[in-house]
Amino acid sequence: MQTSRLFLDFIPVIIWALLAMALVIIMLLASWVLRPHVLQNSEKTSTYECGEEPVGPARISYPYNYFVYTVLFVVIDVMGAFLWLLSSSTLLWANATKYEVVWQVVVFILIVMGGVGFVMKMIPRSFLDGKETLDVYRRAKAEREKEQYPTGGH
Amino acid sequence: MVPLSWYLVLAFMLIGLGGYGMMVKRNLIRILIGAEIMGNGVMIAIVAIALFNPAFSFTGQGLIILVISVAAAHTALAMVLMLMYNRRYGSVDLGTSVEMEGQ
Amino acid sequence: MQGFDPALFEQIEFLLLAGIVLVLAYLALEHKEIVYAAFFFGFMASFVAGFFLLLEAPFIAGMQIAVYTGGISTLIIFAVLLLPRAQDSTLEKFATPRARQISLVIAVVVTVMTGFLAVLFPWAESFNEAFVSISQDLNGLAQWLWFENGIYVQMIALIMITSLVGAISLLRMDKAEQLGAITGEFGVEAKPVLIDDLQSAEDGQSVPEPKEVDE
Repeated sequence: MQTSRLFLDFIPVIIWALLAMALVIIMLLASWVLRPHVLQNSEKTSTYECGEEPVGPARISYPYNYFVYTVLFVVIDVMGAFLWLLSSSTLLWANATKYEVVWQVVVFILIVMGGVGFVMKMIPRSFLDGKETLDVYRRAKAEREKEQYPTGGH
Repeated sequence: MVPLSWYLVLAFMLIGLGGYGMMVKRNLIRILIGAEIMGNGVMIAIVAIALFNPAFSFTGQGLIILVISVAAAHTALAMVLMLMYNRRYGSVDLGTSVEMEGQ
Repeated sequence: MQGFDPALFEQIEFLLLAGIVLVLAYLALEHKEIVYAAFFFGFMASFVAGFFLLLEAPFIAGMQIAVYTGGISTLIIFAVLLLPRAQDSTLEKFATPRARQISLVIAVVVTVMTGFLAVLFPWAESFNEAFVSISQDLNGLAQWLWFENGIYVQMIALIMITSLVGAISLLRMDKAEQLGAITGEFGVEAKPVLIDDLQSAEDGQSVPEPKEVDE
């Protein structure tokens, strides 16, 4: 070995990760051991809904508004990673390289921000307000309740 | 140092696992997870070769940076297509669209 | 710790990481609940970043955690959250045993053949023996990426905004078919449209009556 390898600096990290996994497994095992093991029947394991009979699955479908922000996050995250590489080097300071690199950086940022700005214009204003989300949620909820209580419900 | 063939064997096992996942599963999300596992395997192979061949070092790592960003972009689009599939057919099972073709 | 033989350490760590990555990848594909599978995939991506650290690529490791675990894994979990039918593991059908056997055979054959390629090919003679330490040389990497190959970075930017705009417009396009009027920066942009011929694959839910959204 001419120089010290990189991973030797990171051995504490893997020891920590293994200890964390071991800790979680030990806690789950300990609670399984200490738990009273009694028979479960379907009445005991059914969902509790304040005394009412639960009807239908417990999952509702959220509107797609929040997905837009996740996609936006991924694109901006990648842009951040590229700029991180640039900022951890001396490329923008060294006289030999800074005049060409700065144009690349400016064009890159302009392209990505242009795309993000276009998307923010495309999203209707009611998206960002939250009113549309509330609308869709209420309508979906009302529909579900209408289906399950045809005689009028409570 | 760990010989190169070890890294390549691991990378090819990941590719095989990803390929198996994409061929067998019927749930669209599992197919996508299989594709991502395959992508990770390929990345390990390229970075391993970049380590052992000094002329390829920077090219390999730079290539992987570009590959990761493209993978992120196309996964986002694939997710949206999956949501559209769900809107159209009501489930993310591949069987629903295949069975309907016969009608 | 440096008194230990680093070569042995490296092999132990390689085997440990490889075992964890393969187990997690298998679990990500085969677990019955899909939320668990999505989470295992994110976990596996972090351990692959550990592999990149073994391979003297600290920047790639950081980017893997930021983009894969922090972005793509979140995307998958989000999509699972938005699909209520996917969360119900009783509804998931699995492939017929015959298809599963054929695919398993194909995957094993491909893996074994490429494994032979990895082991039998004289990789050691085709590469230079000298070990160059590039892990501390982020300058060289930044120079390669931005200075010599800056054009590819711009192409990546275009690819990203293409997928972004495509994804958002796909999400928005279907919304116009079912909800109230969509108003944007330029006034009312889309009137609501009642779909009569929508397939009854949506469990007989009636299309909600659209109403004007005041803006």
